[in-house]
Formats: sequence, structure tokens, C-alpha cells
Amino acid sequence: MTLSASRLQLFFQGLPRSLLQTLIINLLCALLVTYLMHVGAGFGENLLFSMCIGLVAMLLINGARLLLWGEDNPHEIGFLLMVAILAPLSFFIGSLIALALQGHPTPLSALRQTPNITGFIVLTLLACVGATLFYWNRQKMASLQARNAVIEKQAVMAQLQMLQAQIEPHMLFNTLATLQTLISSEPLRAQHMLDQLIHYLRATLSTSRSEQTTLGQEFQLIEAYLGLMSLRMGLRLTYALHLPDELQQTPIAPMLLQPLIENAIRHGLEPKIGGGDCTVRVTQQQSMLVISVIDTGMGLDSDAAYNKPTSTHLGLENIRSRIDALYGSLAELTLTHNIPSGAMAQITIPMRALLAD
Amino acid sequence: MPIRILIAEDEALLARALADSLQRLWPQMQLAAIASNGIEAVTLALALQPDVLFFDIKMPGQSGLDAACELADQWPSDQALPLLVFVTAYDNYAIQAFEQAAVDYVLKPINDERLRQTITRLQLHLQSRATAANAEQLSAHTMTQLRALTLDAAPVPMAPERLRTIRATVGNQIRLIPIDEVIYFAATDKYLNVVTADSEVLIRTSLKELLMQLDAQQFWQIHRGTIVQIKAVRSAQREPNGKLILNLYQRPEKLAVSRLFAHLFKPH
Repeated sequence: MTLSASRLQLFFQGLPRSLLQTLIINLLCALLVTYLMHVGAGFGENLLFSMCIGLVAMLLINGARLLLWGEDNPHEIGFLLMVAILAPLSFFIGSLIALALQGHPTPLSALRQTPNITGFIVLTLLACVGATLFYWNRQKMASLQARNAVIEKQAVMAQLQMLQAQIEPHMLFNTLATLQTLISSEPLRAQHMLDQLIHYLRATLSTSRSEQTTLGQEFQLIEAYLGLMSLRMGLRLTYALHLPDELQQTPIAPMLLQPLIENAIRHGLEPKIGGGDCTVRVTQQQSMLVISVIDTGMGLDSDAAYNKPTSTHLGLENIRSRIDALYGSLAELTLTHNIPSGAMAQITIPMRALLAD
Repeated sequence: MPIRILIAEDEALLARALADSLQRLWPQMQLAAIASNGIEAVTLALALQPDVLFFDIKMPGQSGLDAACELADQWPSDQALPLLVFVTAYDNYAIQAFEQAAVDYVLKPINDERLRQTITRLQLHLQSRATAANAEQLSAHTMTQLRALTLDAAPVPMAPERLRTIRATVGNQIRLIPIDEVIYFAATDKYLNVVTADSEVLIRTSLKELLMQLDAQQFWQIHRGTIVQIKAVRSAQREPNGKLILNLYQRPEKLAVSRLFAHLFKPH
């Protein structure tokens, strides 16, 4: 009951727009028939017929579409089949109405005597298919545009956040201070550290501009970052990175993993007196890509709501809304306690969504 | 006489580098120790009694700022506080305000020219500290600045709502305690102990958060971990070891006043 009511509502909502499009197509058909095909009794009569047939076709096709598929995208072949049946039907019904309006109602059997009937039916069919494709394209464009707008906004936000947070001044100046001391005492190590800093800066700055990167590239960036941190933290930091070869080339949006690793260092391991370990692991479990960032640091605050939509952790919320916009509602980020100590951040993304773009 | 210096810095390379620079620019200086976290900084300082402290602000365990406050609390009151220099990679504590003051700061990466200025300033202070009166004044000065710094570091409340009632979970019920009945709040590890004349309950709040919601005329912070309702205080008393303690009307226990807040109880 409510279902059909809501479909009826949909039908009327879309009506004014479809009506206008239909009227334009009807006019074009009438012009075509009168002045290019030179058939029929004249423009006036042809227009009347064209209007009647077109409006009936629109009402039938739209109605059937909503009845069968509701608001969902129709099944393509099924839809074309439906049009193929409804178009000739509209031609007959529309013609009967037009004849009745002209004042000489005609039985259906007489209508079959009309000259050029096959041509008219084919024309109706073509017009219906054309209108349908036009309408479809517009819808697709609109939803694509809406999605692009969301993604664009997220990208700008992420870029802003990156500029504010990713190259954190503490990290940068401490690294420079370490470099300064190494240059004179251990030039070789200084050289190595400088290389890593350059790699980190270049990757961080360039990924912020590109929309896609690969897991392999992200891991290089993470390795540079962890390399720098381990030089600074010495024995307090150990780390391990696991990325299977077959996932190296998997595309991924930038700035999803890196903030999680920086969180693990900044909130988990740096504040801990004894330090600890950071492990980053990517696996494919059935149709899902699972990225885990595990640290043995300070652990999570047992009171804070990290996984709720109302979470006040801006960095996490930002990642969450980005994976939602990019990979759909099946993709998610969760934060849990790591046993025996520390925290684990996990991003799961359907492989299909990753490879779609 | 050598000037004994304690460095607290979690990054070993940077600690070593600072020690080397100091050695180079200040031949009289002698490295007492390097502490690698905020807890060790306090223990080592108390054990070794250095003349000058270089504390990194961001350290594991506790921040350099907290370590300095804790040290001020525990420092023997008959001795002048060590001179204090904060070291930081990025200035988010508005430490520049102290450029010409007893508490100094240097930015990482450390620049020789800037470090030389700090050393000159330290030498001046060390000389003036030779007389007891000056030493006292310098310590008082350091205290004022530490207090100001800790307040600066606290987050600014958006619109602090005055707290009227404390809600505490006790077993399966929620106890409501009118704020006027609270004699003092004492911070424990993660909780806050709310003490009235006849009860004690734990609530889960930080002292800093609570402080913003209290009337500053009515409740005084007297220690890093203690806030007392001032009308519940019978008297302040100086112990033989120089420590200041408070006697309460309705509770037998005595509350310690930290050096940082001792100025609140100076007679007019």
C-alpha cells in the first residue's frame, strides 16, 4: 500500500519535467513527418497525432518503469524490451484518441488500413528509445556530478588538513635538529636521513595533489616516515611493513594510511617511555582489502568514542568520511584495543570499489 | 666552580648534541646527567641537584612543563631552584614572552648564537644568585612564570558553565553532592577524589577540566593535584622542613601546598 503510494508520488513528481521533454520531442516528430517525410494530411493534424501518441507513450513507459523498478535504475535489457512493446501500443492508443478528438472515432481494425503504418510505428519506437536514452544520460550525469562534488569537497578538506597536520612542525624541526647534529659527526647517516626526509616531503606534498596513488607508493612513503622516526627514537621504535606483491599496484586514495601511522607514532609510541612497535599489514580477505596499523603504545582512552559517528576525533572522522565518499558505505575504519597493549586501526574496503575507478 | 647541568631530552642524538654545544660554548659547564623522559628528569634533578636544567617540552612520561612544576613542588625549600631553560622544536606555548626572564627557552634546531645568549643570561643569574636574597627572588620569579605557563597551556574554555552539583556513581546509584559541601578535590591516577565532611567518592574528570567550572574565589588550587574550598581551611602552617600545609575544619587530614601556590598564603 505505502509502496504503491510512494511510487505514485514519484510518478507525479517527475511528471512536469517529462511532460516538457515529451512535448518537445512530439513537436520534432510532427515537423519530421510533415516536412521531411511528406506524409499525412498536414502539419496541424500530424502535430495532433504526434502529441497524442507521444503523451500516451510517456505515461505508459514512465508508469511501467516506476511500477516495475521503482526509484532504482531499471534493468537495461528489460527496459528496452518494455519500450519495444509499449511504443507500438502507444501508437495505436494515441492514434485512436487523436481520431476521436478530430470527431471521427474509428475502430482499431480500420486503423490498420492506415498507409505507412510500419513507418509510423518505427518512428514512434525510435522516438521512445531516443527519449529514454536522453533521459537516462541526464540522470547519470546528475548523479555523477553530485558524487564528484562530494569527493572534490573531501579532497579539499583533506588537503587542508594535510597542510596543517601532515607535515607537523614538531616532526619537521626535530628531524632537522637531528640532521644538524649528524652532519658533522656522522655524515653518512646524515646523508641517508636527508634522503628519507626528501622522499617523505616529496611524497607527502605530491600525493596531496594527486587523486590516486598505489598501495606500493603509499608503503614507500610510510617507510620513509618510519625510517626518520626510528633514527630519532632509536631503540624506542621498531617497525614492520607487510604488503603482498600482488597488492602493490592496487590503487588507493592518498592520505588514508599515513595519518593512521602518524597517529600510532604521535599518540601511541612517542609518549610511551619504553616506546614500542608499529606494524602495518595489508591483506586481502575474500572480497575485502584490509589495512591494519597496529602499535604497542599508550593504547586508547577507554572512555572515548572513537568509532561512533559523533566521534570528536577530527582526523579519524576525516578519513571516515573520505572512504565513505570514495568507496561507499561498505568501506569502514575501526579503532580497537590491541592485546596486550596499544591500539589497532583497521580500514576495510571492498576490492570492487577500489578497482572501479 | 663547575656549573652542573641536567639535560632532559628523549631523543638521544639531540641530547648529546646539546651537551656538546654547551661544552663547546661554556667550558665551565659540567654535564650532570641526561634524562630521557619527564619522570626521570624529576628524579635525576632531585638526586643530583644541578644548577641549570635544560628541559625538552615534549617528552614521554610527562611534558617538560609538568616535570618542572613537579620539581618545584618537591625541591627542598631551603635551596634555590635550579635555573630553567625549556627546549622545544616548535613553539606552541608562547614561550617568547619569557625571552628576558628567569625561565628561558631555546628552539630546536639549536643555533649557536641563540645558545650563547642563553648562556650569558644564565651566567648573570648564577652570579646574582650568590646572595641569598637574590636567590629567593629568582626562585619566586621562576614560580610566577611556571604558573603562568601552566595556565597558558590549559585549553581555553568556550563558555564555562558553573558547576553546582557533582554527580558521582556509587554502586548502582548516582550520588548528588552540592558543590558547597565539597571540602577538597584530590587527583589520583585517572580519577578525582571528591571529599566532603563525611564521604569520599571518585569521579572521572581531570583537575584542569574541573577547575574551569569552579568559582575561583571559592575554590583554590593549592597543588598540581589538589583544589580546596577555602572556607573549609582552618589555618596554614609551615612545617620544620619548610613545607606549607593546610589544616581543615571538618577533616583530620592535612593538605600540602605546593611551592607553586605558596604565594596564596603569604600574610598581608
